[in-house]
Amino acid sequence: MKRIHVVISPVIFAIVITWAGCKGGPGAGNTIRIGVMTSLTGSNAAFGQAHKNGYTIALEEINAKGGLLGKKVELDYYDDQSRPDQAVQGVSKLVDQDHVPVLLGAYSSESTRAIVPVVTQKQVPLVMPTAVADNVVETGSPWVFRICAGSGSYATVTLDFLKNNGDPKTLAIVYENTNFGQSNNKSMTTAAQAAGLKLVDSEAYQASSPDYKSLLQRVKSKNPEVIYFASYLLDAGTLMRQAEQVNLNPKYYTSAGTGFAAAEFPTPDKGAGKYAEYTFSVSQWLPAARWKGSSEFDEKYFKLTNTHPAYHGMEAYAALIVAAAAIENAKSAQPQPIRDALKALNLPDTPFGPVKFDARGQNAHPVLVTQVQGGQYKVVWPADAAQTKPIIPTPPWSERK
Amino acid sequence: MSHRQFIAAAGFFLLSFAVPLVVHSDYTLQILFRVFLFAALGLAWNLVGGYAGQLSLGHAAYFGVGAYGLALLSKVGIPPWLSLFLGVGLAVISAAIIGLVSFRLRGPYFALCTIAFAEVVRLVAKNLPDVTGGDVGTQVPLLFTESSIKSFYISGVLLTGLAFVLTAWIERSKFGYYLMAIREDEDTAMSVGVNTSRVKLWSLLISAALTAIGGALYASLFLFIVPDQVMSLDMSVEIAIVPMLGGAGTLFGPVIGSIVLETAAEIFKNIFQEAHLLIYGVLVVMVVIFLPEGIAGTIANKLRLFKKAPAGSLAAPVPVRPEEEAERTAFRK
Amino acid sequence: MESVVNWFYPLIQAILNGLLTGALYALIGMGMALIFGVMRIVNFTHGAFLMLGMYVSYVFFLKTGINPYLGFMVSGAILFVIGYAVYMGLLRRIPGQVDFMVILVTLGLALIITDGVQLVFGADYHQINLPLVARNFRLGTQIFVNAPWLLSFVIALVLAVALYLVVTHTMFGRAARAIAQNPYPSPLMGINVNRVQAISFGIGAAAAGVAGALLLPVFYLYPGVGSQFELKSFVMVVLGGMGSIQGAAIAGLVLGVVESLTSLYWGNEWALAVDFVIFILVLSLKPSGIFGSQRA
Repeated sequence: MKRIHVVISPVIFAIVITWAGCKGGPGAGNTIRIGVMTSLTGSNAAFGQAHKNGYTIALEEINAKGGLLGKKVELDYYDDQSRPDQAVQGVSKLVDQDHVPVLLGAYSSESTRAIVPVVTQKQVPLVMPTAVADNVVETGSPWVFRICAGSGSYATVTLDFLKNNGDPKTLAIVYENTNFGQSNNKSMTTAAQAAGLKLVDSEAYQASSPDYKSLLQRVKSKNPEVIYFASYLLDAGTLMRQAEQVNLNPKYYTSAGTGFAAAEFPTPDKGAGKYAEYTFSVSQWLPAARWKGSSEFDEKYFKLTNTHPAYHGMEAYAALIVAAAAIENAKSAQPQPIRDALKALNLPDTPFGPVKFDARGQNAHPVLVTQVQGGQYKVVWPADAAQTKPIIPTPPWSERK
Repeated sequence: MSHRQFIAAAGFFLLSFAVPLVVHSDYTLQILFRVFLFAALGLAWNLVGGYAGQLSLGHAAYFGVGAYGLALLSKVGIPPWLSLFLGVGLAVISAAIIGLVSFRLRGPYFALCTIAFAEVVRLVAKNLPDVTGGDVGTQVPLLFTESSIKSFYISGVLLTGLAFVLTAWIERSKFGYYLMAIREDEDTAMSVGVNTSRVKLWSLLISAALTAIGGALYASLFLFIVPDQVMSLDMSVEIAIVPMLGGAGTLFGPVIGSIVLETAAEIFKNIFQEAHLLIYGVLVVMVVIFLPEGIAGTIANKLRLFKKAPAGSLAAPVPVRPEEEAERTAFRK
Repeated sequence: MESVVNWFYPLIQAILNGLLTGALYALIGMGMALIFGVMRIVNFTHGAFLMLGMYVSYVFFLKTGINPYLGFMVSGAILFVIGYAVYMGLLRRIPGQVDFMVILVTLGLALIITDGVQLVFGADYHQINLPLVARNFRLGTQIFVNAPWLLSFVIALVLAVALYLVVTHTMFGRAARAIAQNPYPSPLMGINVNRVQAISFGIGAAAAGVAGALLLPVFYLYPGVGSQFELKSFVMVVLGGMGSIQGAAIAGLVLGVVESLTSLYWGNEWALAVDFVIFILVLSLKPSGIFGSQRA
């Protein structure tokens, strides 16, 4: 009886090969397909959705202006399921089968870091919108371009701000146990040492837990002047609410953006509400940013989703705009010319600010420090961009209303 | 394995080796590498899960130790291939420890215990960034000077071939009969003098070694790994689902399961986008309900039915062989 | 005096926090234990059920404004029906009722539910904002209790006791325990095994759903929210003694306290690892569970 499936298996196998071999081929003549890697399912799906919204808006704008090189632009999505191995497989699909000339993505630092060696090997340029861990641009690959600032700048800008605003002496880091959190912890630990701040505590936590009260008590017992959080949005709300419960009162609540910089964070419905008040955060972008087109993007995003964008959506938007500009400049939809065009690119005026890549492929994106004041993010640093003065020290919970 | 099966299997593997001559798309080769990788992992799992009937849901531990063994040992200057074999050794040692504890338990207790061990391994790797790189991840060296996917594909086929030959040999050996005796009824096996603890442990050690080689290959292809990727419960589950749906305790089941499931997963992803996991879930449920003996077993049965019963008599009751009945109820213990 | 403040109050507070979280764990664990007891399977749909319970309560809150501290009943009822239907419609139909295959189906079902919810509600997270969340009871200057956690603790405890009474004092409970001890002679004694298993699966799902509803005010929801609780429910089932629901309840409380103390003295990132190490130790030293008397 077993001999039957022996016959069947090569048959199925042959079918599979034929299927895989026949599909694809070079893209059609009238469109330019741009590959997009993001997380549409899995634990980062919420951010992948923000990516998708940003890409959708940029795509509409580009096609409304007649596309690129006289051709319509299409996006070719691949869902990495929030898993790096799937991202690697996806690069192969997008590049080898669909022949996209340029890739955007991925969402997470993990997935992005995983695909860097692959795009390098396949010689296709990769524009990275959101990966904050600095190891994504430290491989020496000439094919990667990062739009956002990394965890290193987050730490130095935060310390710079602190130095010039009260000069506190002790610091505790609270970070989630992921690539994002660990690399921010590393950057901050190194930078704090250089800046002469004493690191009194460094706490990793398991993301998405319902209860951080004991963790926060532990931080409280070390009595730091500054707390630096590296958290996603979901935990940022929980952490601040429970900080009130354990009566944790540092002089500064600072943070590495992301959860603490999301548009939803100061709102009561989807964030921490009044508990977000007075927290400092680094930020890549805000709807209120001074760059031309910021508020228009905010409007379009609101129209599309009924929510205001966090910077992740903007970074995706900017990534597509940058890739489109490179294709225009290269006058070609081939990987090598696009890469060269990205290297030479100088866009002084995007809604995400000026974009120009250095030798590593890093865009010198300015990082802002914001503080939540009256439920709004206000830029408080650097001085020349500040909208208002920071409120220091943070009033203890018992004195808030 | 009958004479005919041998010829078919040999033909299949020869054909597989020839694939890169015809297929030049890196994407297709990468999917096929994944197909063979999971066929090999499935065959490895099948020794413990299929033949011995011990539902392991913690094989990601061996997979991860193999992957991290290669990455971390070569980082301290050991040549990659040597690192790979040392990593496999480490996986076998961890399998020995895990086996000694968990094989004292039966059925679902055993399954839970393997999950727990794999989770501990993952969390330790995650929480010791100074050693493993933690979630920032770690670089993995290339095992082949030519970085082409072809080398990986061929090594995937070789690994599957190795696992296949081992399984075929075990299936006919005394050791194999002991394993199946344990699956059918562990107490009886013990009472007739089978040293069940030792037999189960050996099957796990072989299984872990093969799984660790797979882990190292996988890591080297991707050049970069993080604990949540190679040691997750999802990975353990995928390693187990492939042979279970293909046909647990059969020689060809894991290979067929991998061909069907891994290609289906990729096709669904391209067609259904965000709904692809839903469709995959439906596929899993449908296979269990409608193809209870796995894809391999059921197809074979259906074809036999056609042969034995000429047109018109399909509704006639099919005689159930006693060993089939035993297969069905084997895991209830 | 100073030193007492430094170590004593944090310890008491951490134990208190652990118990409050642990009560919800207990509810989740009891559901799993009931299913485990009568079916001898690891239910991989448990996390998805918990997540569904949260979404039911969430939608109910949006439509009617009734908060989850009453809405949990709706979650419980709907999840019971879903669990019952899943058993009757799917699990019962698995040929031969092979353990492997039942587990596979629960895995497949979890994928279907999670991805389905994501298609309907999106991948984005949601939360609700009750004024109650801001209310804290302070005992002296050092110890505090957050009101919603206290409320969920009380409700969970009442339900846990009720569930215990159902299992010990009703016909259904006796049948379930009979099946748990030995499923083979049960039909001979006139027990409708299918029906008892279906009800057990329904109650198990309902317990997870209720726990989800009670978590909603202090947590947030997204399609993948259930998986961490599912892992913990495996631990509780084993600690409590396989299939012993009172054991699982106590194990839930213990787990809450252990996690809380691990966070306080060692580091939050090790809490889950400590869970599993305890789990392995118990499995290898006393396979019948800390509180169980049944043979493993």
